Amino acid sequence: MDFNVLIQNVFNGLAVGGVYAIFALGYTLVFSILGIINFAHGAVFTLGAYFTYAFLGARFGFNGLLANQQLPFGVPFPLATLFGGLAAGVISVLIERVAFRPLRNRGADPLLTLVSSLGVAVAIVNVIQYLVGAEAYSYPSLTISLGIPPSVMLGGERPIVIRTVQIIIFSVSMVVLVLLTYFINYTKVGKALQAVAEDQITSRLLGINTDRLIVVTFFVSGFVGGIAGTLVGLSVSITGPYFGIAFGLKGLAVIVLGGLGSVPGAVLGGLVIGLGEALVPAQYVGYKDAIAFAVLFIVLLVRPRGILGRTLVQKV
Amino acid sequence: MSMLEAVRVTRNFGGLCAVNAVSFAVEQGEIFGLIGPNGAGKTTLFNLVTGLTEVSDGVVNFQGARLSGLKPHQIAAKGIARTFQNIRLFANLSALENVMISQHIHTRANVFDSILGTPRMRREEKMVREKAMSLLELVGLADRADDQARNFSYGDQRRLEIARALALEPTMLLLDEPGAGMNTNEKAALSDFIRQIRQQFDLTILLIEHHVPLVMGLCDRIAVLHFGQLIALGVPQDVQRDPAVIEAYLGDT
Amino acid sequence: MEDFIKQYGFLIIQMTFAAMLGLSMYLPLMAGQLSLASAGFYAIGGYIAAVMSTTVFAVPRGAPFPIEHLLMEMLVAGVVSAILAVIVGVPSLRLRGIYLALATIALVEIVRVVSLNLEITGGAIGIFGIPQPFNDKFSYGYIAFPMLLISAFFAYRLERSRIGRAFVSIREDELAAAAMGVNPTYYKVLSFVMGAVLAGMVGAVSAHFLNTWNSRQGTFDASVLYLAFVIIGGSRTFVGPIMGGLLLTALPEVLRALANTPDLFAAPVAKFLSDGRWIVYGVLIVIGTIFFPQGLITPSLFKWRPLKRWGLGRAKPALKEETA
Repeated sequence: MDFNVLIQNVFNGLAVGGVYAIFALGYTLVFSILGIINFAHGAVFTLGAYFTYAFLGARFGFNGLLANQQLPFGVPFPLATLFGGLAAGVISVLIERVAFRPLRNRGADPLLTLVSSLGVAVAIVNVIQYLVGAEAYSYPSLTISLGIPPSVMLGGERPIVIRTVQIIIFSVSMVVLVLLTYFINYTKVGKALQAVAEDQITSRLLGINTDRLIVVTFFVSGFVGGIAGTLVGLSVSITGPYFGIAFGLKGLAVIVLGGLGSVPGAVLGGLVIGLGEALVPAQYVGYKDAIAFAVLFIVLLVRPRGILGRTLVQKV
Repeated sequence: MSMLEAVRVTRNFGGLCAVNAVSFAVEQGEIFGLIGPNGAGKTTLFNLVTGLTEVSDGVVNFQGARLSGLKPHQIAAKGIARTFQNIRLFANLSALENVMISQHIHTRANVFDSILGTPRMRREEKMVREKAMSLLELVGLADRADDQARNFSYGDQRRLEIARALALEPTMLLLDEPGAGMNTNEKAALSDFIRQIRQQFDLTILLIEHHVPLVMGLCDRIAVLHFGQLIALGVPQDVQRDPAVIEAYLGDT
Repeated sequence: MEDFIKQYGFLIIQMTFAAMLGLSMYLPLMAGQLSLASAGFYAIGGYIAAVMSTTVFAVPRGAPFPIEHLLMEMLVAGVVSAILAVIVGVPSLRLRGIYLALATIALVEIVRVVSLNLEITGGAIGIFGIPQPFNDKFSYGYIAFPMLLISAFFAYRLERSRIGRAFVSIREDELAAAAMGVNPTYYKVLSFVMGAVLAGMVGAVSAHFLNTWNSRQGTFDASVLYLAFVIIGGSRTFVGPIMGGLLLTALPEVLRALANTPDLFAAPVAKFLSDGRWIVYGVLIVIGTIFFPQGLITPSLFKWRPLKRWGLGRAKPALKEETA
């Protein structure tokens, strides 16, 4: 692999890795608070992308209940992304109410919660399919509408080509990460979240309203997940109702690699797996989608708590 | 040779030293009490002996062989059974099933025996069931053998846990606060019961207890833990007079 | 009767497979382990049968495929699944918690990606023209029905043995089970391997039954579907996943029949019943976990009134269809 191609692939990897990272953060936030993996997160990611499509005022396709429908208005892309994220956040909160809270209040086996979240994922994906069909959707070209060139060339004779979309994705990912880190470490709500993650019962005794914080967690998780969905949709189009599921599964590898429940771990894990996929030699590119899962196996074998995870102390 | 021997056993959780270089030895046939204020490290010490928590430093020996580094099920197979402070029965299973499970290491039926129902497997099942029933009788729960463990009263759950531990046919029995939640009369009966099972099953018993009169009347020797340190060790009368012990308890309240 | 078999023979065999796949999910769950690998082992078993029957065991086009070769393929599928299950199970089952679920999702995805890329598995197209041991689909019952009976009997005996008790004790409280002398890792891996072998063998038969095999056979979705069999049917006795598999596989046909009955439902409802069955599945899983955490078939049903299980086996799912 020559140097230019290498650099090019590193840029590709960082852009994809950034999305993996913010996607995985949604998992990690919920895991650190509740100790469960929310399998519906992949579906929320998908919803985010579709919501953004709707807020752009774009028309849906020929299949499904909403065939040929569109919103009577459309907003510019950055605003649509924000709205899409907010809507995904709201859905995420609803999921918590319907599928998680009843089980939590009963003190049910975490396995049941996991199964319940799988059920939500299946339902959402198929509701999407029922409403707008299984076809692919692309956002109306952003670069043209904003008058930005579609790619940037670096270097002279054999330039490194970076797609504008990748720059946007990477920057948005980083902005989201910085804001989230700030939120968790420097705001009152964020600190309360950390306390709940540390010890739910004590936090409740100290007067922290854990139920409300869990709602906040799900909202934030859904919000960043929805934005991640939009970013991927922007990069490769929305390939159908299932497109979040593949991400959802890779996201699991990301959080295990980084360390379950660790926020910086999710970021690191996302970038590592994004880079790993981008650096797969061309002749093995068909196996790219297996990289994340191979990594997951290796981590389970070698260092189950992940790169930045803490050892969990089990109370006897 | 001592039955159980702890040599400078230490356990750190992060920066907290839950058990700090604790050494003691329990002799065969003894009832050995472990007392101390809340958070003194008693249950942690139990977990270190039974392998549920790994030691950070030091060793635990049982009948002269090293326990540290073994898995909990291996330690159980060596003849150490225990109960739990916060009762860990198999809540959705019947009392009988709870006790039957503990005879696991004394049975041999493999997958094929089990599926084909070989004579060996049938014999074993019969033996296991009878043994379990007799232990339920011993703790006075035989008439409720088929009830789910979760439906038992607190005191009955504690007794069921002891029956389950005895089914392991242990040499040594670790009881974590067996009298918790019992009134004075029940505690007296419990004392008699513990002496009875020591006699009947030839046990060495290590127990954690808060209730001082119970410990004083029942135990042959006592070790006192305070903030992870062993501060006194000896026969009840001596320990009771030990200034360090008085200080620890009065300071606590 | 002949008409019935002609129309529903295919479905009945599918229901039988589904019941066994439900059982294959149930076995690890007995030991409290959520495995999503059944679809992966099912896919592997199918590829083994597909490859073997079109290469080493190849028969001239249209000639009947010898049953003993099919049984041999099932054996190979079972052995390969068992070995793979140990390789996947040991590292993830040493750990407590959800690691098995994660590792098995990884397995399913790796199997899918690898089978898409390998030449021997036919890449994205898959393997076609898998030879037929029987003249019609319903005759697969000669293999499928005894298989279901044997595996059900296996599960029945297992539940009443020391091994079954060891599984269940781990599900109830892994630490307490260990303290009582049960080796959790060993029994968790054993339960996982049992499920894997069953799924692999079903896959081998299924490849012949479906005549073609490709990477869409073992997906994450399929795993979730099998999980639904157990959760809805019941996870506390082997009867649960079997009933779950039978009923949920028949459900789409029932829904379709309902949708096609004129004047029974308004058109949008009928359309929803036929196109929205996966939505119904998803909602059923959520409702099941929240309101029936032990599933429809629970051991206590058998203790009360033995005959009652007939009534409940039918009445309850109908009730849930309405709520969904």
